[in-house]
Amino acid sequence: MTSPLARYRPLLAALMLGMGLLTATSACGSSSAATPVTTAVKEIAVTIAGHEVTPPPGRVEVTEGQKVRITVTSDVADVAHVHGYDKAANLRPNTPATIEFVADQSGLFEVETHESNLQLCQLMVR
Amino acid sequence: MLLAHGVGGRQDLPIPFSAALTGAILALLVSFVVLGALWTEPRLGGALGRTRPLSALIQGAVSAPAWLWIWRLLGLVIAAYLCVGLLFGPDRAENPTAGAFYVLFWVGLVPLSLLFGPVWRNLNPLRTLHLLACMALRRDPEQGLRRLPAGLGYWPAAAGIFAFVWLELVAPDRATLRVIGIWLAAYAVIMLAGAVVFGSRWFDRGDAFESYSILVGGLAPVVRRRDGLLAWRNSLDGMAGLERAPGLTVLVVVLLGSTMYDSFSNAPIWVRFIQESSVPAPVMGTAGLVAVIGLVLAAYLGTTSLAGRWGGTEPGTTAGELAHSIVPIAVGYVIAHYYTLLLLEGQHTLALLSDPLDTGANWLGTADWTISTAGNTPAGIAMLQVTVIVIGHVLGTVLAHDRALALFPRRTAVIGQIPLLVLMVVYTVVGLLLLFAA
Repeated sequence: MTSPLARYRPLLAALMLGMGLLTATSACGSSSAATPVTTAVKEIAVTIAGHEVTPPPGRVEVTEGQKVRITVTSDVADVAHVHGYDKAANLRPNTPATIEFVADQSGLFEVETHESNLQLCQLMVR
Repeated sequence: MLLAHGVGGRQDLPIPFSAALTGAILALLVSFVVLGALWTEPRLGGALGRTRPLSALIQGAVSAPAWLWIWRLLGLVIAAYLCVGLLFGPDRAENPTAGAFYVLFWVGLVPLSLLFGPVWRNLNPLRTLHLLACMALRRDPEQGLRRLPAGLGYWPAAAGIFAFVWLELVAPDRATLRVIGIWLAAYAVIMLAGAVVFGSRWFDRGDAFESYSILVGGLAPVVRRRDGLLAWRNSLDGMAGLERAPGLTVLVVVLLGSTMYDSFSNAPIWVRFIQESSVPAPVMGTAGLVAVIGLVLAAYLGTTSLAGRWGGTEPGTTAGELAHSIVPIAVGYVIAHYYTLLLLEGQHTLALLSDPLDTGANWLGTADWTISTAGNTPAGIAMLQVTVIVIGHVLGTVLAHDRALALFPRRTAVIGQIPLLVLMVVYTVVGLLLLFAA
């Protein structure tokens, strides 16, 4: 009986070659291991009026370890919430509310309101 | 997946574009060159073609009558434990129910099935309940009121999987106990009613989660043979031996399409589109989910019918014959998409499970767990995501290639595969672009 591995040797060889190439190429693209020290606070201001978010929801780049300050002004009472970090602020009509925290965890996090279910932005922490 | 309060707060960073593109191009090269040149005969037999039994010690354990009952009872106990939080726990982020259902169960079923085969058949608490009821009534569990119609095939499972992904990705308030409870109750009633009418064979292809476990379990390195022996086998043989039945194509496509929608629905462009539209978000979400699944299905049906025509085989058979080749692609995509969710949210949920009533209890001793990244870096995660997508794609291409060699006459075998290879590459590039951009 031939070993099942022998039958698929060409496939295995190709797979390994593929993986090797992949490792080589992606290693070049991700040399951001050293964490740059950023002291500037990332300011994000969002206004909600008539169920419309200004600026429209998009991605905000944040450096890991950077301080983030999100100011939300809503025309109705609501709760703003940063997913993952689980930071929240109560919103009163037309009164700016701020959420402040240090982005110490990498990943993609949504900022949204709970009552009106609007996404305000996505924090891209890396 | 991003659920309201708690579950899945963190998501993966988009993959660097260079890595994604390289992965896609490599997948294309490997598929075309290696298979065309070196794999000229159909090699993948049925599920039990070449198997090697495991050691006698393991055979003794798995063939003992207690073996199946251990897993059946374990399934019941776990289900009962989860009902504590579902029925009596507070509806807060500290309740483990949503995490247990969407993360530990749904996502965790994939690695379990991938390693051990169709495990949900034995763990399924509904199947066990039906079995126990039949035993109490001294009835044959396989005997229902009617014969299971052959034409039903995987259609009930396809509908069940769609109902689940809709709940997971679109339904309003999907992390609340009320919504999860209603869904599960309706599901249990339909499954048990099906079992009463058609007998326990209904679960084989009627239960969405058993079917899911069967599909993924086709890739498992172990199989229980018809003679009862547990044996090592080639995963590709297992996948190629997947039984064909009506509805299989749609079931597989719903799995792939819904995971793609999950990535897509997170893209800022879609978020903006939904929020600025006057149509309610759940309606838009449903339309989006159906549209993505529909596109994946249309691409699949279009290319397989073209392959059938070019390859010179009976019209209308190619789609079903090749459906199994989509499974590894879907599995690769699911792993890429949900790996960190299972890792991080899984730990979080296990910690919460110690205290389902949120009274400060520590029933399982896991309450004080802190979530560890287990050495996973963002670059490592991105690497793993691209790798599993590429492996899934290559396995899918091999399976499709092997089946095409068996389906098509030798003269037209190569030309018949061109649409299939294009399809695989399109799926991969779209999958990578979604992970890259969304």
